[in-house]
Amino acid sequence: MFEFFFKYPWPVFTKGKLVLLGSWPVWVLLLLIVVSVAGLGWLIWRSLPEAAPKMQTWRAGVVWALQSLLVTLVLVLLWQPAITVAQLKSQQNMIAVLVDDSRSMAIADSGRDGKTARETAAVQTLNAGILSGLQKRFQTRVYRLDGGITRVGSVDGMQATAAATHINDGLKQFAAETADLPVGAVVLLSDGSDNTGGIDVETIGALRNRRLPVHTIGFGKERALRDVEVDEVSVASRALADSRMKATVSFEQRGYAGGKTTLVVKDGDKALASKEVTLDADGVVQTETVFFNAGTAGVKRVQFLLQPMASEENIANNATTRLVSVSGDKRRILYVEGEPRWEYKFIRRAADDDHSVQIVSMLRTTENKIYRQGISDPSELADGFPVKAEDLFKYDGIIIGSVEAGYFTPRQQELLREFVDKRGGGLLFLGGRFSLADGGWGASSDSELIPTFLPNGKNTFHRDPATAQLTPAGTESTVTRLVDDSAKNVERWKKLPYMMDYQEAGNPKPGATVLAEMNAGRARLPLLVTQNYGRGRTALMATSGTWRWQMSQALGDPTHDMFWQQLLRWVAADSPGPVQASMPVLRLMDDGHARLTAMVRDKEYTVAPDAKVVAHVNGPEGGSAMVDMAPVPNDPGSFQAEWTAEKPGSYLVEVTATRGSNELGRDVVTFERTDGVAENFRTEQNRELLEKLSSQTGGKYWKAEELARLPKEISYSEAGISVRDTKELWDMPIVFLLLLGLMAGEWMLRRKWGVI
Amino acid sequence: MKLLQAAIFSVIAAVFCVSVSAYQRTADWGYQPEQSNVKAEFAWSRLAYNSNLGYSGYGYGRWATWSRDYPKADRQFLIALNRLTRIQGRPTEQVVNLDSDDIFNYPWVYAVQVQTWSFTDEEAKRLREYLLKGGFLMVDDFHGTADWENFMNGMRQVFPNRPVEDLQNSDEIFHVLYDMDDRFQVPGEQYIRTGRTYEKDGYVAKWRAIRDDHGRIVVAICHNMHLGDAWEWADDPEYPEQFASMAFRVGLNYIMYGMTH
Repeated sequence: MFEFFFKYPWPVFTKGKLVLLGSWPVWVLLLLIVVSVAGLGWLIWRSLPEAAPKMQTWRAGVVWALQSLLVTLVLVLLWQPAITVAQLKSQQNMIAVLVDDSRSMAIADSGRDGKTARETAAVQTLNAGILSGLQKRFQTRVYRLDGGITRVGSVDGMQATAAATHINDGLKQFAAETADLPVGAVVLLSDGSDNTGGIDVETIGALRNRRLPVHTIGFGKERALRDVEVDEVSVASRALADSRMKATVSFEQRGYAGGKTTLVVKDGDKALASKEVTLDADGVVQTETVFFNAGTAGVKRVQFLLQPMASEENIANNATTRLVSVSGDKRRILYVEGEPRWEYKFIRRAADDDHSVQIVSMLRTTENKIYRQGISDPSELADGFPVKAEDLFKYDGIIIGSVEAGYFTPRQQELLREFVDKRGGGLLFLGGRFSLADGGWGASSDSELIPTFLPNGKNTFHRDPATAQLTPAGTESTVTRLVDDSAKNVERWKKLPYMMDYQEAGNPKPGATVLAEMNAGRARLPLLVTQNYGRGRTALMATSGTWRWQMSQALGDPTHDMFWQQLLRWVAADSPGPVQASMPVLRLMDDGHARLTAMVRDKEYTVAPDAKVVAHVNGPEGGSAMVDMAPVPNDPGSFQAEWTAEKPGSYLVEVTATRGSNELGRDVVTFERTDGVAENFRTEQNRELLEKLSSQTGGKYWKAEELARLPKEISYSEAGISVRDTKELWDMPIVFLLLLGLMAGEWMLRRKWGVI
Repeated sequence: MKLLQAAIFSVIAAVFCVSVSAYQRTADWGYQPEQSNVKAEFAWSRLAYNSNLGYSGYGYGRWATWSRDYPKADRQFLIALNRLTRIQGRPTEQVVNLDSDDIFNYPWVYAVQVQTWSFTDEEAKRLREYLLKGGFLMVDDFHGTADWENFMNGMRQVFPNRPVEDLQNSDEIFHVLYDMDDRFQVPGEQYIRTGRTYEKDGYVAKWRAIRDDHGRIVVAICHNMHLGDAWEWADDPEYPEQFASMAFRVGLNYIMYGMTH
């Protein structure tokens, strides 16, 4: 239809350039148009007083517009408009046909019946005239596209068995391999399921530099009818043994809105947690939080599974896994207490039952005596609170009990700040007679470490009962999670026995998070407040009376100990060592390329750019390798290494940093390479990607009903060997129709208005 | 005739009531001085218990053995506690018993004359739970073999299977505040009159304890000594200072241990 009116196919207009073949300058045309339009306007305006009354209104403007358009059109035609467009020379160019043969192309949801495998439908499409049509005018080459591209002799016999689709890598490889060939265009037949996340700018740039259009033909349903798919799982990659872990699972579904399924967390065959979920509306990304226990030390492959629904089209995308490295290390927390009190005893007892946390405490029993517990040798803390960074930074966390700020020297106060800011440790302030505002902390140099604006003045500590309750933030926190079920957890907190005392801690600072509040009389005050500070984190617990949770509940009730163990782990678990190894991606999908980075510091946690850093990689089937890590320019203390994980499986990398003969520290990071798993996800046709690829390269996304035109229209390309053709436009049928239409339109309007 | 029936019924009722009363154990808490409302971290808690002497001729409520040396010993000790340590102690004592859950608000408790204590099953259960949850019990002022057996009769109701052990000098409880390797027997006030440091056949001071599953002392047993008397009579010029000093050090160490373990 388009061609009937416009004489030429659509690509001529989209790819071509408009020119005027007339010998007179363009400015003359413009001048004539302006003069003509203005003259017509003047004439109409002059004759208005004598015109019929009806024509003295807006109708005169309509007439003027129609006449102006007519004159303009005639003037433009006099200048001989034409389009110049590049066109591939017949039989001198090559058309590349890339056929996706990844496993997702085996899904049977294509063809007229909707039950043909995508790969089969692609082959049928090519054999239905496309390929032969192309071959009449061009040379053709057929390629298999999966992890890369492989040339094949024929499309027949293609099997959708490849483990992955890397469209980006395939196009990049194609552009490189055919750099010296006259490729006129690329035809890509795919479902658009790219496992590497899309087409990068570099690849698009390479294609555009060659003006090489990529025409795409999509296969597969754009929307599944009945499917539940896990999108993303967010969970910490490291944890202490027996920690309560929090995972956020995002998923979406189609066809089961309002239905119920179960979210299960598994370690091998062992179920760690489960949660019933009600499915949201179709296509809506739903997020659920689930808590589970990290278990014993070791590398865990934790699976997050949504139980398949009835008649689900694809159940391979209902589950995904994450590696979690569970450490058996014991984190040491320095607890400074200014007076003997029950809270001290019961916190220590809670830590006694936690294999991952050890409290090293110094308690002022008298004015001049300090009682130490949990020390590793008699010299530890023998001189009181450390005065050197390397002594203090050995600890992973610090608790400041009922101790005045003035008990610490200015140097020690500065060390406390550096402990959080520079070392990345956790610091917890407890309520008490000599704590917070009553201990002068609000006026100290460390006041910024406290996550609230402490009240002015003293007498903020009260030996009166207060009850606790969670805030919305507390309901989602692992620190305050006493019962797995969120609603029951909130109720559990409300039923906790009252605390013996409370302290007014003031208002939370911007950025601080209040996890729990307390009801003291008629007042509601912050109880547990956390904040991030520098590389570390700080918190305050504005009471010293939680020991009643232990003494006033039934024997064996775990509440008190569980809460304190979780809070102590929050304080210490995330404190990094001197060497901190990391990888941007811990799950390599069908691609073994791994980038390992490490930040190296010395015992005072000052960056150590002069360190020697080596990564020892242990892979599957006993494979191992030593990789030297090189300093990153302009980032002191940062080291980096590139490495390829050849085989799928779990890898453990131990990074060791030394300075001379001294070891600065070591860290372990785990990752895995999974092949073929990504193909199970996002199996719907990614039309958006295919359309974007086409539009960015000058190609087109072809619908099934348009494919017959492909062999002809593909020739309008500037790539390969092409010639520029000039196509005159004056004799397009649409031009004559327009001329007639304008004149007829004016006549009909005049008749309608009765002015003829 | 009706008058005779009423008289007979009255006599029977009276005999029944007296009989029931006679079989009941002593349940009189004895002298109750005014208690303090001062709020502090530590409250010296004295355990008031039912005595098994109720049927043995010592009187029906006249002599409550739990209150021996009470309250002077308690208050003199609290003076020392507040003066010598950073513990914020309430200036007056707190009497607790095992008939209510109020004892759980006082994680350290002191009991004397424990050879006379007697528990119902419910009381024994409450004391057991108190100790296993984190409470600490110090017992004092009982002497000799017979007292030990009577003490253990009650203790076995609380902990049927937990062993009693003799504490060694190296135990943390003797070093938590004062180093106390040189302990000796602390006699009661009777020393002033008799010159004897022992009572009955309790010739040698026994420093014993019962521990929980983590090895923490939950019951500290001061057998064949009378620390309470030493605190009570510490201001008596005739009572030797070294006994009073030792008693204070023991008490302070035991409290400090109870507040740290």
